[in-house]
Amino acid sequence: MENITSTIQAVPLNHYILLSAIIFTIGVIGVLVRRNAIIIFMSVELMLNAVNLLLAAFSSYSGDASGQVFVFFIMALAAAEVAVGLAIIVMVYRNTSSIDINILNRLKW
Amino acid sequence: MSTLIVISILAIVVLYLGLFKAKQALLPISVLGLVAALALAIMEWNSNAAPIFSGMMHFDNFAVAFSSICIITTILVFLLSKNYFEKISDNVAEYYTLILFALSGIIVMVSYHNLSMLFVGLEIMSVSLYILAGIKRKDFASNEAALKYFLMGAFSTGFLLFGIALIYGASKSFDLAVIAQYVIDRPTGIDPIFYVGLVLMIVGLCFKVGAAPFHFWTPDVYEGAPTLITAFMSTVVKIAGFAAFLRLFSICFAPLQDFWMPTLLVITILTLFVGNITALYQTNFKRMLAFSSISHAGYMLFAIVALGAASTNAIFIYAAAYAVSSITAFAVLMLVKAKTGSENFEDFNGLAKSNPFLAFALTVAMLSFAGIPLTAGFIGKFFVFNAALAQYHTWLVAIAVVNAIIGVFYYFKVIVAMYFKDNQTKQIATPAYFNFVLGVSLIITLVLGIYPSFITNLF
Amino acid sequence: MSLFYVVAFLSIIFALLVIFTKNPVHSVLYLIATFFTFTIHYIILNAQFLAVVNFIVYMGAIMVLFLFVLMLMNLNTDTEPMKSTLLKVVGAIAGGCLLVTLVGSMKTLSSASTTAMDNTGIGLVENLGKVLFSDFLLPFELSSILLLAAMVGAVLLAKKDNKTA
Repeated sequence: MENITSTIQAVPLNHYILLSAIIFTIGVIGVLVRRNAIIIFMSVELMLNAVNLLLAAFSSYSGDASGQVFVFFIMALAAAEVAVGLAIIVMVYRNTSSIDINILNRLKW
Repeated sequence: MSTLIVISILAIVVLYLGLFKAKQALLPISVLGLVAALALAIMEWNSNAAPIFSGMMHFDNFAVAFSSICIITTILVFLLSKNYFEKISDNVAEYYTLILFALSGIIVMVSYHNLSMLFVGLEIMSVSLYILAGIKRKDFASNEAALKYFLMGAFSTGFLLFGIALIYGASKSFDLAVIAQYVIDRPTGIDPIFYVGLVLMIVGLCFKVGAAPFHFWTPDVYEGAPTLITAFMSTVVKIAGFAAFLRLFSICFAPLQDFWMPTLLVITILTLFVGNITALYQTNFKRMLAFSSISHAGYMLFAIVALGAASTNAIFIYAAAYAVSSITAFAVLMLVKAKTGSENFEDFNGLAKSNPFLAFALTVAMLSFAGIPLTAGFIGKFFVFNAALAQYHTWLVAIAVVNAIIGVFYYFKVIVAMYFKDNQTKQIATPAYFNFVLGVSLIITLVLGIYPSFITNLF
Repeated sequence: MSLFYVVAFLSIIFALLVIFTKNPVHSVLYLIATFFTFTIHYIILNAQFLAVVNFIVYMGAIMVLFLFVLMLMNLNTDTEPMKSTLLKVVGAIAGGCLLVTLVGSMKTLSSASTTAMDNTGIGLVENLGKVLFSDFLLPFELSSILLLAAMVGAVLLAKKDNKTA
């Protein structure tokens, strides 16, 4: 326990923010450059996880538990969204036999 | 609070009614339940409520006003739904349930006092809408709408959450009062991550309300979704989005106006021009309504840019006017589409001869959209512009007036089609429910336009 | 201290692999690896309950669901036609701009917020439970509506319908 605590104290909070920002940006790039709906969706999950990590870090560093509680709500949302999102993707796939988002584009994004 | 409980329980009751095959009872019970919820909401008016549940929710006058208008609009949408869902699928009860769930999320969105409540409310609404957009499962456009809405919605949620996380990191709390205090306590030297969080939240919220440059999903989703759902999305959902936007900014970020005002200003001007100019080129009435809803989002953003004491009132009046006109337009569109099978402007040719009442109602709605005097839309625009003028944004109002004039062109296209073009169509039968909804909307539009003092002094 | 940097490096590598691998199944597997590194981050942060929940919910439930859908639809080959290079470059540049803006604006972060935590027990179940069921009771109850709506919707959309629309 002592060991863990001293580990955290050695890492500045800025580095957690930086890490979250990088992961978040990777998620955003994934949404922008990929065309497979499932991979776009996974990139969104990356973005949500970056937020989770950031909240957990803020919460630990400030000694306030509400940030970690908020992470629960995000996880509940992620579970709900995955269920609905995959149902939508399955439905689209049944009709078009493809999940390439460009097939769905009669107009530009 | 009791409103929220009633609506949530109502949704579950309706779900059970579907289980017991009581299809005839669905509509009456939903509407009765909503009327009860409306009554409970109005009873809280001026009760000086304090934040409840450890500061999670604050059912103040703002919340009462916006939840009332959302509930009333939902009732009107429900009245249009008679025999609509039955054509799509057997699972009618589930559709009512999902709309009610979305409404309960909206009630949370207009009464939140903690960012976690904003998040949960927004997501309850969004998740229900992703599903509702896709209920025509065999229809390609509906599939496209659902998928696109879902991906864009989830993407924007990411931005909103990152913003919330950064604001939490700076202020150490999700509570609106604490965040507001944080801003007030530090006239200078607010943590830079707070500003980044603020910008990301603006991006997330602009996605949700469909403001340019984050509007690109709106036309396709509005066109692809079933018309009744589009009516719900472009009225209730949009109003709720703006209520949440305004609540956040007026409570928390008002002292930082110098920082976010230029950003929102650019977004507003872009939204107005993109919405109005693209709407000019549309041949499909539903798509035109989608672009016009973008431009109306621009007018409502106006009141947030000029944040002040009058903003709430301005947005409230504008939202009320916009909601009733939209409901009329979508109701007529549903009838015309049921008759002709398509949604283009030509389908409205000669409507004035074959069905004068429909044509008249639609004309009034279009005039109200365009902001012609003696309609509610004029009063709405007047108050929004007034709020901006009070802050000396004269040239901004000039831009908005130019846009209002552009708007007149495409709204009049429909009126011209109805009155001055001929077409040998038979009379469209209007069910009693539709007549009722059209009549109510017509009366509200005209009464607000002629005697606006009913709701101009609410706040 | 160095543990954090090793794990952070791994997180970034796996996250990059998620979005740049052609085969969707590999993407899912890399995503699982990314989530595993996040679990380690939570342990480093002493957020033990979050670590367990992240492990069970994300890596257990959500990722299995992804894999199921990919396998059911037989998408395990790299069928995806790539986007035009222009669009890719534009996307990457937009993402890069976002990163530069984020990092640049946060660089001036006040040093006061880097103080170590004073309460080491906040990530434990007992403490989190107390906060969740007192302060955050209302959003907790409301998430049940969210989950119910998602459940109704998922069944509604994915179930085979006998009646043709």
